[in-house]
This record gives sequence, structure tokens and C-alpha cells, in this order.
Amino acid sequence: MTRAPKSAAGVARPGFAWAAPAAVFFLLFAMAPLVLVAVLSFANWDGITEPHFNGLDNWVALIHDPVMSQSVWTTLLLTALGVLTQTPVSLLLGVWAAGHQRNRAVLSAVYFVPLLLSATAVSVVWRAVLDPNFGVPAQLTWLFGDGNLLGSRSGALAVLTFVGVWQFTPLHALIYQGGARAIPQVLYQAAAVDGAGTVRQFIHITLPQLRNTVITSMVLMVVGGLTTFDTVLILTQGGPGTDTTVSAFYMYQKGFKSYDFGAASAIALVLVVVATLVSLAVVKFSGYDRMRGTAEGL
Amino acid sequence: MGSRFAAIAAASALVLGMTAACGSGGASSDAGSGTIHVMVYGDATNKVEKQIAETFNKTSKVKVVLDTVPGADYQQKLQTVINTPHAPDVFFNWGGGSIKPFVKAGLLLPLDGFIAKDPGLKSNFLPSVFNSAVVDGKPYGVPMRGTQPVLLFHNKKVLADAGLTPPRTWDELVAATRALKAKGITPIALGGGDQWPTLMWFEYLYDRIGGPGLLQRAVGGDREAWASEDSRKALAAVKDLADSGAFGRSFDSVKFTDGGSPALVAKGRAAFELMGSWYYSTQQDANPDFAESGLGYTGFPTLNGGKGDPADVVGNTNNFYSVLKKTKHPEAAAAFLKLMYSEEFVKAQLAVGNLPTTVHTVDFLDTAASPAYSKYQYELVKAAPSFQLSWDQAYPQSASTPMRTAIQQYVDGKIDADAFIKAMQALPTS
Amino acid sequence: MRGRPNYLAGFGSLIWLLLVGLPLYVLLLATLRTRADYSTEGPLGLPAQWTLRNYLTDLSNGFGRDFLNTLTVTASVVAIVLLVVPPLAYAIVRARGRATGWVFRLFLLGLAIPAQAVIVPMFYLISKAGLYDHLIGVILPTAAFCLPVCTLVLTGAMRDISPELYEAMAMDGASPGRVFRQLVLPLSKGGLSSIVVFAALQAWNGFLFPLILTQSDSTKVITLGLYEFQTEHGADVPGLLSAVVLSMLPILVVYLFARRALVQGLMGVGGK
Repeated sequence: MTRAPKSAAGVARPGFAWAAPAAVFFLLFAMAPLVLVAVLSFANWDGITEPHFNGLDNWVALIHDPVMSQSVWTTLLLTALGVLTQTPVSLLLGVWAAGHQRNRAVLSAVYFVPLLLSATAVSVVWRAVLDPNFGVPAQLTWLFGDGNLLGSRSGALAVLTFVGVWQFTPLHALIYQGGARAIPQVLYQAAAVDGAGTVRQFIHITLPQLRNTVITSMVLMVVGGLTTFDTVLILTQGGPGTDTTVSAFYMYQKGFKSYDFGAASAIALVLVVVATLVSLAVVKFSGYDRMRGTAEGL
Repeated sequence: MGSRFAAIAAASALVLGMTAACGSGGASSDAGSGTIHVMVYGDATNKVEKQIAETFNKTSKVKVVLDTVPGADYQQKLQTVINTPHAPDVFFNWGGGSIKPFVKAGLLLPLDGFIAKDPGLKSNFLPSVFNSAVVDGKPYGVPMRGTQPVLLFHNKKVLADAGLTPPRTWDELVAATRALKAKGITPIALGGGDQWPTLMWFEYLYDRIGGPGLLQRAVGGDREAWASEDSRKALAAVKDLADSGAFGRSFDSVKFTDGGSPALVAKGRAAFELMGSWYYSTQQDANPDFAESGLGYTGFPTLNGGKGDPADVVGNTNNFYSVLKKTKHPEAAAAFLKLMYSEEFVKAQLAVGNLPTTVHTVDFLDTAASPAYSKYQYELVKAAPSFQLSWDQAYPQSASTPMRTAIQQYVDGKIDADAFIKAMQALPTS
Repeated sequence: MRGRPNYLAGFGSLIWLLLVGLPLYVLLLATLRTRADYSTEGPLGLPAQWTLRNYLTDLSNGFGRDFLNTLTVTASVVAIVLLVVPPLAYAIVRARGRATGWVFRLFLLGLAIPAQAVIVPMFYLISKAGLYDHLIGVILPTAAFCLPVCTLVLTGAMRDISPELYEAMAMDGASPGRVFRQLVLPLSKGGLSSIVVFAALQAWNGFLFPLILTQSDSTKVITLGLYEFQTEHGADVPGLLSAVVLSMLPILVVYLFARRALVQGLMGVGGK
């Protein structure tokens, strides 16, 4: 307050102290546990007695565990299915909601209701709705057949993907709506003058303009997809067999059902590495990092 | 554990503790003096546990606080808290394998001391049941519910409408499933989503075909038992039944724990269900009218040419209360355990269809919710040459998930008999 | 505004209306039926007999307590986030030190850490610290896992403040504290409301931390109550779904009265 710097170089800037509370908090609750995960993955721990090191045992067992590799593939598959289904639906919905049709306000209030439900509530509702004996399939047999949606791998994966779309589309549609609103109208007016139709406008103006929004939304989808847990726990329990056992659920099973916390930690570490790699890949592939880089206000 | 791990953990825990001390929010738990926490498996029988706790609290200065944990998560919660400051004083368990790890970790209180003061804590219970909670020669549990043989339940009306009588042999059961299927009724309700109800079919078929010795050998570490001729026969029988559509087509989407499969039977959408004897209290709770008049039961059918005695049963001998060594109120815990052979307890259990295993139970059978049902169970268990403990309780806890997964995959046709045998051979044995 | 209505998106939105509408229809009607009615008549028809009993039963079964616990968790998480994120974002945007840069990278890395991955040691730490089965033991990790996204969103918002404004303030000899209070905070209101919405939704809907880190009825949150209801009495669909409706009511109220702020907040999560 006493200083009166004359040039921009002398502007009073916040010191590290401003960042410290958040950094310490985050280190303690996210990074320290992460380090412990790494350490525990080399240990044998049943949750009752004290952990003791067992070298590479957990990792060797994990490499030879067919369920583990299957769970990684299932996780990646569900993530990919999630991105591929949620992106078009939420893109169309978001762009539509950004327009000014008369019925839009009323309808969009209904559209976004899934947003108000927790993943737990969403799973609970869909489990009841899709119950083969007392749910909708029992009444619409022409559509659902015997209603055994969760009895096959493809059926269970389809249900999980569909519930994902139902649950996450509103959020991503909102993100797209925000993005679409920010597109300068001039671009559309110019295109209209050139005689471009709605579809061409969408492909040549809307999509390119929404590039960064698409990337942000996709990163969120990827991270969300890789960590799918609530829906699997409530809807399929990883079944039938191990067909929908995603890595996060397998880790939960190993740790909190079989009490092998060492093995669970090893799976957790794989999960972190995969999540980091996929996020980095998306960021690199899309140029998201350069975008952040230029915005760096240093 | 290495010093680095300990250091990180200690430092983080210390800071966390300080944060907690600073933060004024958060719920305060009633872990103060004057209470003992009793942790029980949450289900329909809880009303008895609540009643007994109330009775106890009327006269005792140290009060019992009942913590019910939903069944599906009970074991998980127990294992995670048992060695923390939030461990209960007394907890529900299945005896035998389910408490062995806790005994080994030195967490449980041997009950010799209690029994020395009150010999009734042992002598009032059927020895065969009491002994399933004896580990390394010391008693660690007191029976606290009823014995739970697995029975074949049916909807009387559905069978009558189809002109069928309860099957006594396997062939009759198979014929009945065909007849029911032809009528568009799911022959057998199966909570395949829970996985362990499917296991019960394996348990009985293995017993009837191979005799109780087969599993004893397998649990004892003899991997060849799974590859034996009898094992393959039992597997073929399970598969034939499932492939014939006896369980319907959607059993993987149905659960017992959430009340799904019992509802199928109660509403007449399915005819049979193989389940532990608690099924009666499940139905009594959810569908009281059906439990009273529509629910029929038999033992598992006999099988021609099998090695097992047709009178054998499988299931759980009982559930037990065990006491933690670090409880602050051992006297109160002992006094609470004494209620498990009281007249009130026996009557309350019988009233919900459970069959307590005290030596006096037989005197009260007429007070049961369904005296006929209680007497039937009593005679069945008394006459059984073998009472096979559920596989997932006989094996160590870590075998449970892979075992159930293999069971489900086999019934679904995802893996064949060879792969199933391999999976079972890979299970850890203690 | 475009000249022509977007038929393609309009068509998609109609299908979406059906997909959202059907389960909501089943959800609402089921809660107004008796249990017997639901299992005999099925979910699609109108109830033979209307009833509010399901709601009353839920309310007498501890829903109020779960609600208060969830409210405590949500308010505390939002408070923590509001306390630590704005200064951090300000430092990231304006500080020159290398340390701050590292902190930013740490948080970017944190985006990819799933909460599930650390649940085992988190349980170990929380129980060692004596926080197991206390709401504070849920609040702290939940808040920590909100930080990366909140930081990213708010940093984005603060970057939009033009350097000229900072320089103008500096000319007046303002300290970082004053710049923060008088310039940065007022101009990043949008970002702040975004992180409040995000953190509140995360806390309100959080499931994994309460599942692992609490146990008693006295610390139960709504999501856990739903899950336990489902695992134990899932066949009582009307009772279960009434609990779902009750659980979404508070957010619905917020949605109705502050829809604009909520929607703007969520739009902001995507950044630009």
C-alpha cells in the first residue's frame, strides 16, 4: 500500500503465500494418499493387521490376472462409447437450446432434470425402471423381449452407456449451449447471404467455432468415463460374471470385498496411470495444452 | 512396514487430526462411556435384535446401541472398522472362517472368562452349533439368531393350479419345471444378480451327488476334488437345469437382497425358490398374507444314485455375536449375551420364523409364527447326518468374489466345466 | 440468432424429451402408488389408488437427518472451496514465482486422479486420524477433489481481466490484497458462481467417500441412504423412488428459483 511503482514491472503481485493453503490442502488429501497408494501396491495388507512389504507380488499377480486386463479394456470401451454417444447428443441439444425458438425455455427446463439427480439416484431409478419383472420391460415386451437387459455383456454395456448419456448429456449440453451463444452472429449472417443451409452452417461454422468447447467437454467425459463406479455398483455389480467389471469397481472389489488392499492399490495405480495417459493424449492430440499455454498470464 | 510409509502416514494423519481438532463441524459420535455398540447384519430379523436391546437397556446402566448395516455391505464394513477406534463392542458374524482372521489378529475376546462365570452361556446352546464359533480350541461366539438350513420354497397356489405336488425327487423337480414353463410361469425364481443364491444350487447338487466329503476335501486343499467324476456330474446337472430355462431368462437382472426374487414367488410369477430358512421372515415382512397361507417348503429333492444322504442339509449353522477384546464394558457385553438364551429371545426369534439353537427351543415351538414350519426345520436339522456350511463361508473370505464370479459365468454359459473347475482349483484354501 | 430453425437439433431434442420424460413419468407416478399396485399394475398405467404414504414413510425413516447431514457436507465443502481457490487462482494468474507454476501443474495433474484411486489410503489416513464416521472426514477429501476443476475454471475467468485494469490499480499503489478484493473478486463473479455450483453438486451428490468413510445413521448422507434403501428394500419401488424424489427436491427448488445462476454456473464449467 505504501509502494507506488511507476512501471508495469513494479506492479505488486501476489506471492506464493496466496497459493499455499490450497496447495497444502491438496497435497494432503490428494497427493499424499496417491503416494501411499504407490507404496501400498508393494505391500500386503488385509485392513486388520499392519501392512508389510511383499515386493512385486501384487504386480506379478495383477499381470497374470485376466480379470484385470479385461477390466481395463471394459473401462476404455465404456469410456469410448460414452464419448461417442454423449458428444453428438449433447452437441445437438446444446446448439438447439442456444437458439431462440419459442418452446425452448419450457422444454429445456425439462431437459435438464437429470442434472438434478445424483449418480446414485440415476442408477436407482433406472434399475427400477428396467427391472425385467416389475419394470417397464414387463409391460413393453414387444420392445424389450424377455427384459434380461443386464444378463449379457452387450446388454449390460448398452444399459451402462445409455444411463451415462441420460445422466451426463444435460451438463455437456449446457456447456455447448454456453459455447454456441458465444459464436458471433455475423458469421451466420454472412453464410446465409452465401446461401448456406442450416446443416452447412452447422458443419462449417458451429462445429469449428465450438472446437475448444468440444475438447473441454470431451476431457470431462473421458475422466468421468474412466472413473465410472456408482452406476456399475448399483446397476450391474460388475456382472454378468466380470463382463462390466470396470477397473474402479474391480479395485473396490479387491479391496473392500476380498480385503486385499495391496492388490487394490496396484489396480488404483494402473487407473491413475491410464487416466493420466488418456487425458494427456486428448490434450496433446487436440492442442489443448497450447491453448492454455498462450493464455498463460505470466 | 517400512519407515517411509509409516512416516508419510503418520505425518498425514497428524495433520488430519489437527485439522479435525480445529474444524468445529462434523457429527459427534456417541462413543462416550456408558454404551456398547452392537453391529448387526441389516434385514428383517432386526426387529428381534431391537426388541432384545430394548429389554437389555431397561435394566442395564450401560446401554446397547444397535448399528444395523445393510446385508450386502455388512462384511465389508465390519472388516474396515474392526481394527479402528470405531469398532463395535459386539458384532454379528457367521462363526468359523468369518472370524478366524480377527482371532489371528488378536482382536477378539475369548469367551472362556464369561463362561466360567456363567456356564449357561455354553451349556444352553446345542453343542454342534456352539462349536462352529470355536477357533483354536477357544469359544469366540454365542449363537444369536436361528439355524439356517437351505430349503426349497414354493408358492402353493401356483403348484396347485398347475396340478403339481411339491417334488420329492430331482426328476420330479425337473418335470415340474417343464410343466410350469409350458404354462408361462418362471419355474424357479433365482436372484442371480446377488450371485450367492445361485451358489446354493451348486451346494446341494454337489452334496447329493458327491456327498459332503467332496467339499471337505476341496476346502482342505485337495484340488483334485473339483476335477472328480462327481464334481463333473453335479456341474452337468446345474447346467442342464439352467439351460432348460428353469430359472427363466432374466435371473441375472434379479436380486434376492432387494426383495426382487421373493416378490416373484409371492406374486405367483414364479413357483420355486431355493433359499435359507430366513426366507420365511423375508416373506413375512414383505408379503405377510402370502407367508401365512401361500408359502410351502420342502427339503432339497433326493437324487438317484448320488453318494450324499438325502437327509443332508446345507446352509449356515447359526449367526453369532462375538466380543472385541478392547471393549470397555465386558461385563455389560456378557450380560447382553446372556439374553441370547432367554425365553423372550427364543420366543421372539420363533415369532419371525427363525429357529434358535438353544437346548430349550423345542419347548417353545408351539409359540412360533408358524409352529409347523419351526417344527419341520427342527426335525430336519436334528435328523441331518451332515450340515454343510455355505461354500463362501467355508472358504476364506478372499475366495468369495472369484467363487461367485465363476458360479455366475458357468450358469450363464460364459465358461465351460473345465474352466469352472480350474477357477475353483485356483481359490485360496486356508 | 439464426435465420432458420435448426430442424436436425429440434428433432434430436424431441427424442431427448421422450427419453427424459419416460423415466420421470414412471418416477413420479410410482411414488403415488401403493406397493401392491405397482407390482400388479406395472409402472406405466395410472395408479388405481393415489397415495402420499410413501413420502410420509420415508420422512419418518430418517430422511430429515440424512438431509441435514448432506446440507452440512455441502455447505462446508463450498466454504472450503471459496476460501482456498480464489487466492490460488489469483496467484496462478498474477504471481511470477516458479513455485506457483508448479502448483498449477500439480492441479492440472490432479484432474486425472480419480477419487476411487486413493480411497484405500484415504480410508487408512482418515481412520488413523480418528475422523472415520465423522462428517468432517467426508468433507475434507470431497473438497480436495473439487479443487482441480474449480481452480481451472476460476483461473480461466480471472485471465479475462485485462492487464490494464491491474496496472491502473497498481498506479494507485494498491497491495495484492486490495487488488484481490476490489478488482479480482468483483470481476470474476461468473467464475465464482461456477465453482460454487460445481462444488455444491459434487458434495450434494457425492457417494464414494460417504460409502467408505462413514458407517452410522448419525452420519448418513442422502446418497448413501438411497443406496442402502436400494440394497435392502429395492423391491419396494414406490418407497425407493419417493426417496429419490425427496432427494432431488432441494436442488429442484434451487433450480426453480436460481435457474439462471445455476445454468450460467454450469455453462461456465466448460470455460471458453
